[in-house]
Amino acid sequence: MTKQWGLKSTVGLALALALTTGVTAQQTSYKFGLAMPLTGGQATYGNDQVKAAEWAVDEINKKGGINGKKLEMIVLDTQADPQVGIQAVNRMISVDKVAVFVTAWSGVVKAVAPIANDNKVVELSVGANSPDISQLGDYVYTTFPLADVDIRAVANYSAKDMGKKKAAVLFINNETGIGSATVYRDTFTKAGGQVVAYEAYDQKATDFTGPLLKIRAANPEIIHLQGLVAESPQVIAQARQLGITVPITSYSGIYNQKLIEQLGAAAENVIATSLAPGVEDSPLVKDYVDRWVKDVGRAPNGLPYTQYLYDAPALIAAVFTSLDKKGITPTGENFRKEMLAIKSFDLPLTGKITFSEDHTVNKPVYLVEVKNGKWTKKAVVGQ
Amino acid sequence: MFDLAVVSQILWTSFATSSYFVLFAVAFALVLKVNKVFNFAQAGVMTCGFYAAYVGVRMLNLPGYAGFMLGIAGGVAMSFVLEYFGFAVLRQRKASAMFVFIFTLIASQFIAYAVMMIFGTWPTTIFASMFWPVTLVGGIAVSAWDMPAITATVTVLAALWAFLKYSRNGQFMLAVADNADLAELYGIQKDRILMMSMLLAGVIVSIGMFLYGTRAQVQASAATELMLFAVAATILGGIGNIWGAAIAAVVLGVVQNSSILFIPSAWQGFLLFAFLFFAIVLFPSGFRLPERRNTLKRTVVAPQALTDGKGH
Repeated sequence: MTKQWGLKSTVGLALALALTTGVTAQQTSYKFGLAMPLTGGQATYGNDQVKAAEWAVDEINKKGGINGKKLEMIVLDTQADPQVGIQAVNRMISVDKVAVFVTAWSGVVKAVAPIANDNKVVELSVGANSPDISQLGDYVYTTFPLADVDIRAVANYSAKDMGKKKAAVLFINNETGIGSATVYRDTFTKAGGQVVAYEAYDQKATDFTGPLLKIRAANPEIIHLQGLVAESPQVIAQARQLGITVPITSYSGIYNQKLIEQLGAAAENVIATSLAPGVEDSPLVKDYVDRWVKDVGRAPNGLPYTQYLYDAPALIAAVFTSLDKKGITPTGENFRKEMLAIKSFDLPLTGKITFSEDHTVNKPVYLVEVKNGKWTKKAVVGQ
Repeated sequence: MFDLAVVSQILWTSFATSSYFVLFAVAFALVLKVNKVFNFAQAGVMTCGFYAAYVGVRMLNLPGYAGFMLGIAGGVAMSFVLEYFGFAVLRQRKASAMFVFIFTLIASQFIAYAVMMIFGTWPTTIFASMFWPVTLVGGIAVSAWDMPAITATVTVLAALWAFLKYSRNGQFMLAVADNADLAELYGIQKDRILMMSMLLAGVIVSIGMFLYGTRAQVQASAATELMLFAVAATILGGIGNIWGAAIAAVVLGVVQNSSILFIPSAWQGFLLFAFLFFAIVLFPSGFRLPERRNTLKRTVVAPQALTDGKGH
């Protein structure tokens, strides 16, 4: 008797459990991962980018989420370090079971790519620009144009539109500098110019007199600088102190108000690229920047990057919404298929993106220049 | 590339920018000489010195000289904390040299992380602008930062020399450096002198970081990297030789910057460490000048019997 009662109870309990599991198997929320540097040397950028993504997720949920279901973002720290990034992504995939995650910083993007491919989870690189990213595997895509896009644009613009025939390239001797410096040199040469000096500086250098003097001796008409936020202002300051007055171009990393505060008049004629529309180009961007100033008390660090991070949840939400409408389980494999089926996305702060066959996107490049103490729009290339 | 103007510019700028490295090396060498500690926690003192000055100038809007004094106060305060709560305690417990070394490494990282949490990670300078006006002197660009930096460094070195040579406490410091136990037997309060040495090093590195932070951007982790240069200069200058460390710091700075005349700029970092590698292996006690030969003339007078011939 006791045995029968025990058996019935067990079967009943199992049925109840099965039913319960069956109910929770229907999606009640959609999750994605965000692996960014929250601590360490790059956290200043990383934290602002996370804030932008958080705002986007809030907005999406306020407007109904994914067909009434909540969009959840799981944020983990990478410290912009490949090893820490691997741990973060492993956790997102094995514990949080995300179908897609967003990450940035080229070293991290490359390090976690095998994990994404092996587990068939989509990795969206948003902000890293190493040209290698286009070849990292079936499940790795970038929504941010790679280095060749903006560097090619500024090199071509310098040679063709500004009419510069002789350029010098000065770059930091690491992944950020080497690849992009090569792209600039090759593009400028192809556009009919001549690279008269090609100098690298050590990552830990604090004085750049030597390379700058070599560049000065070569008498270039324009200098392209490919460095990091930490030392680029100092390079420009020393260049001006050594009497180098030609225009200096660089990538979007130096496009921030702090450069002008630090350099004053020495910042004049510095040209940076931006891969996102500015406040003059889009009222949505203006509202976004105004919100930063109101809520945080300042403009975001690395404005274009935060724009892309604000848009990343919108892209993910669009894919999840489509999957949800079709009743398709949101696995990484299905996410990838649906994302490629949709292919083009209209995003609020960066405009339309379309994934190419090589997993990349092409965007217009905005060139901005310091004129009279302010960043002003110079040109839009590749519209 | 062997244009005289270029060479002169490189030499001048190297000399000027070696000013803060000299101060870092001298402070490190001083603590090594007197306290017998490889004080990697000096990076933490440097960090505190910089951020104290930064708070004064950028956050409290104090004038530069007030920020300078606050920077020194910050560095000295951290030196006190490290000596009082760290090294003194480890000495009492008779901790091994290895243990003390590990403590200095951990202390410097702990301070760096604490500062990172308070001030964030954005690179910053003491003054809002890092651009210094330039004057051409005989074709050489001399920035408005160069002369004050060199003057400050020379003043600090002169003051340190005078202190060690002429002041009572300076003499005590040399005595403790020579033989701490013997010095104690002679009534010198060893712990007080060791504290004084740490505080003095705190003053010196805080001045160095003020110079550095008015010319280059600093993050919480920057001091750890600057320390490498100081350690290398100390070893090359001879362990226990404060002035050797100072000279080595200048030489290293000039060698690294002027190497651009001969090799691609991308190789500069490699060259510096290759130079250090061979220098340390070949000269483990540091470079030493040949000893001066003592050519003391002695005229020994043969003892004559100054007697009256009778042995008196």
